[in-house]
Amino acid sequence: MITDCCCSKMDLTSLQALERERVLEVLRRDKQLRTIEEDRIRRMKHDLQELRRRGAKSFARQYGERTCARCQRPLGKFWNSGEVCSGCSHRICSKCRVGAADWKCTVCYAYREVKFRSGEWFLEEKAKKFPVTTDKYEMVGEKLLKSYNVLSDISVVPPTPPPYLLSDYQFLSRSGDLKNSKPFTKSMEDLMVSFTSHIKKISTSQNDVRGDLLRVDSSQRETCSHYTQMSLSDTDINKTSTLFKGPSLPNLFKKSKDSDLEGSSTGAEEETSCGSEYSGGKRGSSSSMMSLDCGLIESIVVAGELELALAYNTHTSRLEITVGTCRNLSYGDTKRKKCRPYVKLYVLPGNSSKMKTTVKKNTTDPVYNEVFKVKREIIHIERHLLFGKRLRASVWHSGTLRRKVFLGEVLFPLDGWRFEDKDSQCFNWYPLCPKAESSEGGAVEPDGEVLVRVKFNSQGELMQLSSLNYLQEQDSRRQII
Amino acid sequence: MTDGDYDYLIKLLALGDSGVGKTTFLYRYTDNKFNPKFITTVGIDFREKRVVYTASNPNGATTGKTFKVHLQLWDTAGQERFRSLTTAFFRDAMGFLLMFDLTSQQSFLNVRNWMSQLQANAYCENPDIVLIGNKADLADQREVQEKQAKELADKYGIPYFETSAATGVEVDKAVITLLDLVMKRMEQCVDKPPAEPANGNGATKLGEAQPNEKKCAC
Repeated sequence: MITDCCCSKMDLTSLQALERERVLEVLRRDKQLRTIEEDRIRRMKHDLQELRRRGAKSFARQYGERTCARCQRPLGKFWNSGEVCSGCSHRICSKCRVGAADWKCTVCYAYREVKFRSGEWFLEEKAKKFPVTTDKYEMVGEKLLKSYNVLSDISVVPPTPPPYLLSDYQFLSRSGDLKNSKPFTKSMEDLMVSFTSHIKKISTSQNDVRGDLLRVDSSQRETCSHYTQMSLSDTDINKTSTLFKGPSLPNLFKKSKDSDLEGSSTGAEEETSCGSEYSGGKRGSSSSMMSLDCGLIESIVVAGELELALAYNTHTSRLEITVGTCRNLSYGDTKRKKCRPYVKLYVLPGNSSKMKTTVKKNTTDPVYNEVFKVKREIIHIERHLLFGKRLRASVWHSGTLRRKVFLGEVLFPLDGWRFEDKDSQCFNWYPLCPKAESSEGGAVEPDGEVLVRVKFNSQGELMQLSSLNYLQEQDSRRQII
Repeated sequence: MTDGDYDYLIKLLALGDSGVGKTTFLYRYTDNKFNPKFITTVGIDFREKRVVYTASNPNGATTGKTFKVHLQLWDTAGQERFRSLTTAFFRDAMGFLLMFDLTSQQSFLNVRNWMSQLQANAYCENPDIVLIGNKADLADQREVQEKQAKELADKYGIPYFETSAATGVEVDKAVITLLDLVMKRMEQCVDKPPAEPANGNGATKLGEAQPNEKKCAC
């Protein structure tokens, strides 16, 4: 109850324009700090997951009392027989304990540490008093900033700026790099605000579209602006912003190595909520959107998420793609509730050799952590050559008799991705989307254009620019239906 | 200035009447400078500081473990017209610097109101707070006596400091004390059955009704 009254009161309309600008400036600064914090937390949780994974019981080995649940070393009957951890109730050898009398196993200890350091304890406490209604903890500042972006849609008449300028600026703001906005004038900032609100309308996956989209957008703007209020706009903005930031993969690995040294390992007692707060909210909305008109593929319902990390290794001049884990996948074999998922990677367009992960058996939450290296010949670092390139990561079920079932895919645009920015490389969860369908056929042009399909629903309120996500590489024609 | 190279992000928030010196206090703390000009804060602002925190066990002895703590210190406008905005930010803060002006009886009387604002809007019913009487350097204009303020602080079970942003006296100590309380709270919250219901001086009970009740709702 307190929550609601607070939020409704809490807008900036009562402030004067200058004051509002001041407050928003502060909020943007706060957002920057939060971005850093979120990355830090993500890194931390990834390390924890890594720790768990390493010690997880393998399928090959029977679970037994005879081995330490962490390091898998066999336990003796009398000598070093292990003791039960008070946290996870697993039998732990003496080497995998932290603390003296009141010891915990390495994983329980790490879990507790993460809870401290990520501020999760605070969120939990807060949730007791102010129950979270959405599946994402949201700071007050965040909320305000967003609501203002919506407001500005009405109040600020957007100037029609040259699209390339906008797209550049978009990159800046997207990577949370507001420091760079300093040299820009105030009007430029206003522009950004109005721009973000505009881009929201085309939401679904603006990041896929880039320059082309902008051209499409400006021609379509008049039409678009009559149909606003897409519920997923905010979260999608979020999605793109999380796409482009994060710690570098090398760092990540270094870190996990460090924790390795501490002699740690794991089990999968507690579900790590790694990344859930970033992806939870948007998954539902965007995938349901997709399913409206992309559900032509197969009867398998696309669900779940894929965790990916991209990094550019300057030493080897290679793009490194790490497939982390998947979660909540659909069953590839719905009748028998079985799933043997693997992930396939392509760089599009062009005929790069495909890369495949191993097949994991009987799981809808497979853990891969496999690194793939793409040669520079394929991924050129020069921005202009990257234009239109994208990475397709698709998840497949490997069925009997080599039958393959498509479980969903993620298309990751590479032309907007900033290789040079170390912070833009980290693990992120991406919701799986149904395969973009190429039912329209028609002539195929080789460049990286985008097929746009606009739909109005019966109420005429909701505009769906549904297939702005990358379509198949052949579908390069732009169509407005 | 910020990078992710820290162990904890701790968010504290300063509140109190307009003109008690919240902004100058924080400015003194983060930059160790004093700005005598009164510039009213528009709605909300924050400053940052990186500190090294040395952990201590419940007995008060240092364990030698040090952590890098990134402090985000929220500064709120004391003015009434920003109230709805500022109180909304209470919720995201882990600890509070409740300030009044030692040269203004009224600002001291309003501490009570701020306390109830906190109770309603902070993340829990009894958050970690330190009471701060600022402008201790203006001894000749003093209106609030130390004893008076101390009594009130004791009633709430919170520490009390007399600081001066002008001279810098006690400023660091007040913030560090609060940080310490927050760090201890953190451990209590995570280790569900409070391992050591010790550190009695940290008992921050707003209500004071049931002194034996657990400190946080976990």
